[in-house]
Amino acid sequence: MSMSIPENKKVSPFLVFFIINTMQFGIGVLGFQRIIAKYAGYDGWISVIITGIGIHILLWMMYKMLKIVDGDIVSIHSFVFGKTIGKILSAFFIIYFCLLTVMVLRTYIEIVQVWMFPTLETFWFALVFLAVVVYANFGGFRTITGIAFFSIVLPSYILAIFLFTIPYSEFDNMLPIFEHSIKDILTASKNMSLTVIGFETLLVFYPFIKEPEKSKKWGHLAILYTTFLCLYLTVLTFAYFPEKQLQLNIWPTLTMWKIIAMPFVERFEYIGIANWCLVILPNACISLWCASHIAKRLFSFTVRKTVPILALLCLIGTSLLFTRTQINFLSDLVSNVGFYLTFGYIPLLFISTLIAKKVKKK
Amino acid sequence: MKSIYTAISILCIYLLLTGCVKKEILDEIYLIESIGFDHSKEKSNKGMIVGTILYPIYQPDQPPKNKTLTAEAHIKKSVLQEIQLQSANPIVTGSMEIVLFSKELATNEGVLELIDPFQRDPAVGSGLYLAVVDGEAKELMEGNYGIRGNATYFSNLIENNIKNEDLPKTNLHKFLFSYYQKGQTPFMPQLKRISKEKVLLNGICFFKHGKIVHTISPQEMFFFRLLVDKYSNGLHRVKIDEGEAAIRSIRSVHRFKLTNRFPKEVTVQIKVHGIINEYTGTKVTPKVIDSLQKEFEKEIDEECKKLIESFKENKIDPIGFGHFMKTQIRNFDLTDWTDSQFQNLIVKLEPDVTIAEAGVIE
Repeated sequence: MSMSIPENKKVSPFLVFFIINTMQFGIGVLGFQRIIAKYAGYDGWISVIITGIGIHILLWMMYKMLKIVDGDIVSIHSFVFGKTIGKILSAFFIIYFCLLTVMVLRTYIEIVQVWMFPTLETFWFALVFLAVVVYANFGGFRTITGIAFFSIVLPSYILAIFLFTIPYSEFDNMLPIFEHSIKDILTASKNMSLTVIGFETLLVFYPFIKEPEKSKKWGHLAILYTTFLCLYLTVLTFAYFPEKQLQLNIWPTLTMWKIIAMPFVERFEYIGIANWCLVILPNACISLWCASHIAKRLFSFTVRKTVPILALLCLIGTSLLFTRTQINFLSDLVSNVGFYLTFGYIPLLFISTLIAKKVKKK
Repeated sequence: MKSIYTAISILCIYLLLTGCVKKEILDEIYLIESIGFDHSKEKSNKGMIVGTILYPIYQPDQPPKNKTLTAEAHIKKSVLQEIQLQSANPIVTGSMEIVLFSKELATNEGVLELIDPFQRDPAVGSGLYLAVVDGEAKELMEGNYGIRGNATYFSNLIENNIKNEDLPKTNLHKFLFSYYQKGQTPFMPQLKRISKEKVLLNGICFFKHGKIVHTISPQEMFFFRLLVDKYSNGLHRVKIDEGEAAIRSIRSVHRFKLTNRFPKEVTVQIKVHGIINEYTGTKVTPKVIDSLQKEFEKEIDEECKKLIESFKENKIDPIGFGHFMKTQIRNFDLTDWTDSQFQNLIVKLEPDVTIAEAGVIE
């Protein structure tokens, strides 16, 4: 059930770097330090490295599977499980990517409401934001890749901004190393998954890559870069906050910006949060694109129909979440589903694909 | 053509939606620059807190006018509410520079509850200064200092002393950092009103469980800074037989070392790199410099030991020896650090003073 994508809709292999990296680096990085410190204390940076290594392995598996079937997740499912079951399983991915969109959007709106404008209406902001997302989706995968590229390049200056915290940092907070058990460190790795999920979109956009073999290098590089960024933030956060204080802050990354005072701008968070909109825009675009693309493949609708329908569902979902508890529930849900999907389902699918291939050869 | 219409309509939505959040025009709000807290003086209001806010009124071609408003309430947020009853414009906390606590209030009631809202409020930066007032906060705030408004004057006073003189680095973040750090206790600078136009930085107050338990004089501040700040500077007078010299420490570095485990012994190496600013003797010869260095080292050793003794007496640890021990010894128990283990800690000092220059004359 492989499909052919016209050459003019495909993207260059090196752009895979931007797509995967931007999907991973989104809303999770604003608060993951607290979560890993909750389980592994200030040994949490080891968990970041472990997660990074884990994802490298998963990415390798994904490339292997996709090469075997030469298609996307829908092709893999029908290759392994047959048409009917394959379709049902693929349909779960539509829900998953929609949930991801809702989670990213709602969390971002919450941040804007808490930090900047308490009176901001969730619905209106979500409407405008999703309108942009739908518009980008109509432009096709190439347009979305373009957005992904700019969402990494334009806000990259923010990374340097974190260095403002160094005069107030005490790096010996992290000593002594290995004060926590391996189990704690692995638990932290597991709970970090919300921050790093997103690379599984490769399962959907693989057929859109020109010379997919060449993109492998870029995919791994993207994950290496994400791991490096998370490590960088973790080390700076751990040095800046004592453990007890870190547990109080829901978004430690944003709280760190509170120390920055520049002559021309009293408070940096306002610029930073506004900029973050650009960081999460491709997240929403790509996940919605993935959802609508799977829907298109399964039910043979056109993208012009699936995108607005799914966006509408996301809009309703986003507007229905009001309190911190509800939002937390959603991000926990997405985090758990994402973890089991990537670290549980993908290896299983990988083994099944290998078996299916052997059986079919015979 | 169709896409142009879409673009225009989306643009219109954006323009219309800008009215969706609350506007705050600078001339129509009171930007609080400072808040002060005192004990209520009236007998009927015993236990209540008097809050004073300070906001500038900007006028053309004139220094800003200092305006204060005062109200009594049980907790800080209701202080603001009570004050709101007296103010014609909404009160905004976005550009707070300094929070003042009267010494009496900070000694008897503690400051933790009063600091909590500032930590919680996203509009307040971590660079906010906190200070204790020797006397009444309200009285201090009602004076007229400098030409740039009272709050700016206070914060410049503190900033200048941190940058160039003996005051250790301090602000809201530093206070919270040492409060939440296990094995460390916080401190704040202390201000005193001398006259209607003069303020004096007259010491440092040390807290335990949010209440002041100990205060040191400005003369001791230099030595305290050597111990608490990794890099510090400041001015100190040294007297020898040949005359008296004012030595400015350009850059001092300290280093902690755990030199013995049973009994626990910490060695603090302090390197002071200084220049002579002023000398009352006849001529600065290498011999004089040598004896000045020796005398200075002796004083550092004595004064720092005295300080540490006084901290032990008051069961506080503003330097963070407890935290240091935790980084050096695995599974170190800090639960009763200041009460028992700190009392038995041996602290050795290794001062090393180098005087490099003696000004432009010989």
